[in-house]
Amino acid sequence: MMGLSMPMMMMFGALVILTLCSVFSVKYRDLGFFGALVAIILGFSAVTLKNPELIYYTAFVLAISIINLLSLKGIKSVIQGVDFGLVGLMALATLYIFSTQDLAMVLAAFVLVSVPTYILVMIREGGANVEVGIKYITFMVLATVLFLIGAVILVYTKNEFNGILYIFGYVMLVLGLSIEVGVAPLHEWVPDVFTSADPIPMSIIASLAKIVPFVIALKILISTSCSLTVSISLFTAVLAAISMFTGNIGALTSKEPARVLGYSTVANMGYVLACIVVVIKPEFFYFALTGVLLMLFSNAAGKIGFFNAIKNKGAYSPLMYMLAFSFIGIPPLMGFWGKLFILVALIKAEYIWLAAIIVINSAISVPYYTRLARELGEGWKANLTNYICIAAVIIISITILPDWFFKGMEVIAQTISIAI
Amino acid sequence: MNEWILFLILFLAPVLSSVPIALAYKRKELVDKLPLLSVFGIFLSVIVSLYIFFCFPDKAFSYPWIPELGIDFVIITDYLSKYMGVITTLIAFFIAIYGLDYMKGDYRLPWYWFFFNLFTASMLLVVYSDNLFLLFVGWEGLGVASWGLIGHWHRDDDNLTYVGTVDRKVGPLNFFWPPSAGGWRAISTIRFGDVPMFLAIAAIWFFAGTLNISQIEWGDLFVQVGFAGTLIILLLFLIGLFTKSAQVPFSEWLMTAMTGPTTVSALLHSATMVAAGAYVFIRITWYIEPWTLHGIPGVETVYIIALFVGLISGLYGALVALGMLERKVLLAATTMSSLGLMFGATAASYWIHAEVNGMNLAVLVGFWYLAIHAFAKASLFLVSGHLIHATHSRFSVGDIELGKKMKITFATTIIATTFLVGIPPLTAYWVKSAMDLVMEHLAIEYSIAPLILLLATSIIYSAVLARFMSTNFIKGEKPHEAHVEGGGLMKAGYVMMVSMLFVIFGLIFTRPELKEFVHAGFEPLSIAVGIAALASFGIALYKPRMPSMQKFSTFLSDRMYFPYLNDYICPKIGFFFSRICDYVSRGLDGFYNTLVMPGLFGMISESIRSIQTGELSKYINIVLGVVLVVLILVSIGGVWL
Repeated sequence: MMGLSMPMMMMFGALVILTLCSVFSVKYRDLGFFGALVAIILGFSAVTLKNPELIYYTAFVLAISIINLLSLKGIKSVIQGVDFGLVGLMALATLYIFSTQDLAMVLAAFVLVSVPTYILVMIREGGANVEVGIKYITFMVLATVLFLIGAVILVYTKNEFNGILYIFGYVMLVLGLSIEVGVAPLHEWVPDVFTSADPIPMSIIASLAKIVPFVIALKILISTSCSLTVSISLFTAVLAAISMFTGNIGALTSKEPARVLGYSTVANMGYVLACIVVVIKPEFFYFALTGVLLMLFSNAAGKIGFFNAIKNKGAYSPLMYMLAFSFIGIPPLMGFWGKLFILVALIKAEYIWLAAIIVINSAISVPYYTRLARELGEGWKANLTNYICIAAVIIISITILPDWFFKGMEVIAQTISIAI
Repeated sequence: MNEWILFLILFLAPVLSSVPIALAYKRKELVDKLPLLSVFGIFLSVIVSLYIFFCFPDKAFSYPWIPELGIDFVIITDYLSKYMGVITTLIAFFIAIYGLDYMKGDYRLPWYWFFFNLFTASMLLVVYSDNLFLLFVGWEGLGVASWGLIGHWHRDDDNLTYVGTVDRKVGPLNFFWPPSAGGWRAISTIRFGDVPMFLAIAAIWFFAGTLNISQIEWGDLFVQVGFAGTLIILLLFLIGLFTKSAQVPFSEWLMTAMTGPTTVSALLHSATMVAAGAYVFIRITWYIEPWTLHGIPGVETVYIIALFVGLISGLYGALVALGMLERKVLLAATTMSSLGLMFGATAASYWIHAEVNGMNLAVLVGFWYLAIHAFAKASLFLVSGHLIHATHSRFSVGDIELGKKMKITFATTIIATTFLVGIPPLTAYWVKSAMDLVMEHLAIEYSIAPLILLLATSIIYSAVLARFMSTNFIKGEKPHEAHVEGGGLMKAGYVMMVSMLFVIFGLIFTRPELKEFVHAGFEPLSIAVGIAALASFGIALYKPRMPSMQKFSTFLSDRMYFPYLNDYICPKIGFFFSRICDYVSRGLDGFYNTLVMPGLFGMISESIRSIQTGELSKYINIVLGVVLVVLILVSIGGVWL
C-alpha cells in the first residue's frame, strides 16, 4: 500500500465499503442505502481533495446520485439493497472520470457506468422485467463493443497515424455513443424501454448514466483529433440534427408521459452530441464543455423529477412547470444556459446551421413539455416524490447566474485530455 | 411665475368646475344646480382671457415639460391668440348661459356639462399653444369632447335629434342619421385626419429640432426636406386641419354633427372645433410667412391646394345649404362654406405682399372673417335652438306671425344674417371687401379662378341666409306649435352674442391694422359685390322656395350624394382591407396553428413513432443496418478523404 496517496486510499475505502454493504444488504436492505451514501460521499471527498477545481462538477454529481439513491428507496426490489450498491458504483465512476488521464481507467469507467444499468433496468416490484432487459442489453452490448473498439482505434492512430483507421475509429466511437445514450436513428430501444421499465430505475438510467459516456467521448476525441476531424465532424453534426428532430417531433404526438420522456431524451442527446463537433476548435472547447455538462445536469434533474412524478402518478404542479420550462430553455433556468453555451460553442465552431436547428427544435419542444407538466401536475402533498422534485428544481435553479460554473469549466477544459 | 397661475386658471377652471357635476351624476338635486358652477368656471376663463388681452405683452412663455426631447409647455400671447382667446371664452360663456335654459331637464346633464367645458378648455389650449405637441393635446381633447357631445342623446329615441328625413333611403343607404351615428361619423373622420397630422408633427420635430411654431425656421426646414418633403409634411399636416374644419371631401361629419344639442352645434361651429382647423392654418401661415418663401419648391403647391380646397368647399357648402330644409343643417353647410373662405383667404397670402402694421393683409382677412363668422353663426344657431324648442320641429317652419311673437329672436336673426353676408356697410362687408381685393390681386398674379369662386360663393351664401330668415320667420309654413313664452336666458345668450358684431364693427374703424378693410370697402369691385349680395339677399327673402327647381333642390339637400363617399365607398374600402387582413390572418392561422403545420408535424411524428413496434429483431435490423451502411460509406469515402 506504499505510495498510495490519501485520495486514492479514500477511493479504495469507498469501494470496499460499497462492496461489503452490498453483500450484507441482501439481508438488511437499508445497509445498502447507507453504504452507498457513505461510499459516494467518500468518493466525492477523494476526488475533490485530489482536484479541488472539480468541485462544481463533483458537487452536481453528488447531488444527482444522492437523489437517485433516495428515489430508489421508494420501491421494493427483488435484489434487495444491491441496487443501491449499483448506483453507488456508477456514481463513483462518474465522480472519478475527470480526475484520471489513463485510457484503461477511462474505458473501465465506461463499463462501470454501463453494466449496472443492465440490472437496474430489469428491476420491478415483485419480479424481474426480463423482456425489457433483453432489449436493453442487446443494444448496450453493441454500443459498448463499438465504443470500445472505436476508442482503441483512435488512440492507436494517435501513435501511428492512419487516415482511414482514424475515420473508422471516429465513426465507431460516435455510433457506439449514440446507441448507448439513444441518439436517432439508433434510438429504437429508448421509447420502448422508457415506457415498459419501472420509472424509478429509468430515472437513474436517464440521468446519472448519461454523463460518463459523453465525457469519455470528449476526452478521447480531443486527445486524438487530427487534420481529418474537421471533415468527419459533419457526420456527428448530421446525426445530432436527426436526433433533435426525431426526438422532438416524435414526442409531439406521444401520449404516455414515459414515452414523451423517451423522445425528449433522444432530442436532448442530440443537443449534447452537437457539442462534439466543437472538438475542431480546442480554443473554444470550454464553451462546449460548459454546455454539455449543464445540459446533462439539467436533463438529469428534469428526468428524475418527471419519472418520479410518473411513478407517483403526479407531483406538485409548479414544480412540474419549472422542470418543463428548464427543458424548453426558458431563462434563467439551467436548461437555458446549457442550450445557450452549446449555441455559443457551435457559432464559434462555425456550425451556424446546427445552432439554428437547435433553436428551431427548442420551439418545437414547447407544446409537449407544457402538456407533460399539465398532465403530471397536481396539488401539493407532503411525500417523497415532491421532495425529490423540489431537489431537482433547486438543481436547475442554482445556475441562475452561471458565471462561476463557467469559470470552473475553463480550468477543467485544459486538463480533459488523456495521456497517450 | 404669476402668468403660469393665470394660464392654469384659464385652462383648468372650465374642466375642474365641471368635475363636481360629473361626479354627482346620481344625485338629481345637485345635478340641477351644479351647471351654475360649470358656467362660473367658463366665466373665470373669460376674465383671464380679457386680462391677457389687455395686460400681456406679445411673448412666448416656456416651462419645461420633456426637456430631453426639447418639448416644453409654450404658451404664446401674440396678436392671434389674444383675440382668439377672448372670442373663444366669450362665445363659450354666452352659449353656456343659454344652455342653462336650453338643456334644463335633460337626462344626461353631467355628461353634457363635463364635455362642454372640456371642449372649451381644449380649444383654449389649441389657441394659446405655441408648441405643436401641446397644441395636439388640445386638438385631441376637441375630438373626444365633440364625440361626447354630438352623440349626447345616445339613446337615438327622439326624431327631433336626427339629421335628415327619417326613413328616407337613397339606393341602399339610409339618408338619415341618429345622434349615435353622428358622433361616430365625427370621431372617425377626425381621427382619420389626426394620424397624418401627428406624423407631420413628428417629422417637423425630427427636421427642425423644435416644435415651437414661432421658433421653427420654416424656410430652412423646407429647403432641408426639399420639394417632396415639404409637400408631404405640409399636406399631412393639412389633412388634420381639413378634417377638423370639414373641408371637401371630409365635410360629411359636420352635417350630421347637428344631431347634438344646439348649444353644441353653436360652439362647434363658431369658436371651437371647426374653427380650430382654420385658426391653426392661420397661425402657422402667420409664422411660415409663405410670401417670403417664393424661391423654395413645394410651398407654392401646398398653398395652391389649400386655396382651392378652401374655395371649392366654400362654393360646395353654399350650394348644398341652398337646398337644405333643416334649420341647423342649413347653417352647418354655410359654416363649411365660411371655413372654406377662411382657408382660401389665408392661403392667398402666398401671393399677397401688402402688409398692414407688419401683418399680412390676407392672413388678417382670414382671421377677422373667422371672428365675425363665429359670433354671427353662434347667434344663428342659438336662434335655431330656440325655434326648435318653440315649434318642436327641426325643419325650417315659421311665418310672419311667429316673427311677430318672437321679436327679439327675429331681430337677432336679422342682425346676424345681414351682418354676416357682406351687405354694405354692415360688419362683414368690410372684411369681405378686403377678401374681394385679395382675390382680385390673385387674378393678376396667379389666376382668375379664385375670384370667380369667391364671388359665386358670396352671392349664393347671401341667398342661403336670406332663405333661412324667410322660411323661419316670414314666408315659412305655419308651425303646428308655438311655445314662444319663457326662454329668458336663451334670449340673453343670443342677444349678447349678436351684440358682439357691433363691437367688431367698431374695431374695424378704430384698429390701425384694420384700416385697409375700410379702404377696400370703397373700391368699386367691393361695392359691386356688396350690391350683388344685397340683391341676392332680397330675392331670396321674397321667394325662399322655388317648387320648379324641386329636383335640383333635392340633389343639393342630399348634399350632392357625398354621404355615399362617407357611408358607402369608404366603408367598402375599409372592409376590403379588413377582409384581406382576415384572410391573411386565417391563412397564417391555418398554416401554423390549425391545418398545415400541425398536420405535417403530426404526420412526421406518427411515422417516427411507427418504428416502435416492440419487435426486437426489427430494431436490431435497423440499428445494424445503419451501422453497417455508415461503416461501408466510411470505408469508401475514407479513401477519398
